[in-house]
Amino acid sequence: MSLTLYHGEPNGPSLTVLAALFAKEVPAQLVHIDLAAGARHGLACAHEPLVAMSIEGEGPVLVADGEAMTDSVFIACYLDDVGQGPALRPAEPYGRWQLMSWCRQMIERTAPAAAYLGCRAHPPHASNAALQGIGSVDLRARWEQITAAEFSAEQLTDSRTKLHQAVDKIEARLDGRQWLMDGFSIADLESFAWLAGMPALLPAAFAGKPRTGAWLERVRSHPAVARALSQARTADPTASWSVGPEINRWG
Amino acid sequence: MHNVTLYHWEPNANSGKPMLALMEKGVAFNSHYLDLLNFDQHKPQYLAINPQGTIPAMLHGERVLTESTAIMEYVDEAFAGPSLMPQSARDRWRVRWWMKFMDQWLGPSFSMIGWSVFVGPAVRAKDPAELKAAIERIPLPERRVAWRKAIYAQFSAAEMQESQRRVALGIRMLEQELARRPWLASNQYSLADINGFNLAFALPLSQPALSNDELTPNILRWLRAIYARPATKACWAMGRTNLAKRITILEQPHIGEGQPA
Repeated sequence: MSLTLYHGEPNGPSLTVLAALFAKEVPAQLVHIDLAAGARHGLACAHEPLVAMSIEGEGPVLVADGEAMTDSVFIACYLDDVGQGPALRPAEPYGRWQLMSWCRQMIERTAPAAAYLGCRAHPPHASNAALQGIGSVDLRARWEQITAAEFSAEQLTDSRTKLHQAVDKIEARLDGRQWLMDGFSIADLESFAWLAGMPALLPAAFAGKPRTGAWLERVRSHPAVARALSQARTADPTASWSVGPEINRWG
Repeated sequence: MHNVTLYHWEPNANSGKPMLALMEKGVAFNSHYLDLLNFDQHKPQYLAINPQGTIPAMLHGERVLTESTAIMEYVDEAFAGPSLMPQSARDRWRVRWWMKFMDQWLGPSFSMIGWSVFVGPAVRAKDPAELKAAIERIPLPERRVAWRKAIYAQFSAAEMQESQRRVALGIRMLEQELARRPWLASNQYSLADINGFNLAFALPLSQPALSNDELTPNILRWLRAIYARPATKACWAMGRTNLAKRITILEQPHIGEGQPA
């Protein structure tokens, strides 16, 4: 099996996939690309439909035996299936349902909110030529809005609300437990990956949330996460953002 | 008996996903029909089961499960019966990719169109004060916005145009993918097909200019193959409105361009 992972700075979806890869001890060629400059759209696989139309936004791409795979949670599930390291999902169906429904809420509600605030504080910077290479019309539109610093008050408020809700949910979930599921899992990775940069941007959401604060440190210290963070080329990868998923356009 | 109760609306979109998955697995379940057009899903009896007021929800013993796609994966893993996920890890990745794409990108565009032509007009005739109170009872703020837009016909031209663009592109992507293999995400019938059928079963009726035997032969082949399955027939027989009856379009041996209007 030949695997190549094209990833950005270890933050957001790139962090999830890098840490899953290390936790599962899956050998792969790692290629660092500048997702914040739109570099993914210059890859040979960029116009394959399941890359071009990935709704995660600027996430990593894992090429496995010629097939380009996107969407960090599902790549992590794939790595969990094929790798040798300890399982990153519960073994029984109900625990797996808890993980998948948790991640779904993270993907749909938290990720767009974090990316929106992250991009406002640390704008990505693609050239016009790179923007023209983006296959998805709606992803390109999000790039153009962010490049023009057009952030709507309504979406900023919506994003802050959703981040407060995510932290509230995590704080409640961690009552009496170390990890979000019964053991360290993809739910910890995906939640941490989107939230690691948020205490700096939205401290109010984390105030008076000791369990969440301790959990963030616990995940950061996990060997696979620490190794993923060591791939950084900037001093603070949590300040590295690119265009994320769309904020729900309807309901 | 498996002690499963499913709270659902019509075999369509999110409700139909766990319904069809349970039937494919051969799992008998107690059906608890909620009339979406009568706002049953926001009434206290149901909010006691699912405080978010979203449909469907499944009770398995004492446990409550929500999120239709995650419920389908649970159903496939928790019960005996034919596997609805492929063996290969990469095929399973593809199943999940397509389900997310349909759940979060293509589905909302289909449903914006569906709600503006079906759900909105169906509930608009109710007493205005009753409607206002019904909207106020919706727990999730974004669902409140969604219902308000559907009921009061507040979708902008730009929003509808964007949904139509996405539907047209989504149809082209489905056609391309189904030209590559017999089923949507792998060579085996899977949850991706169940998900996709719930989204697209009436496509030749709702989008006749974009999906028909001339333009999208692979989509039509796929829809007919799913309709031919006994579980699908049994599932759609549980429908109570004209929404579910639209499935009979798939009995036509040939659906030409521009037909039916």
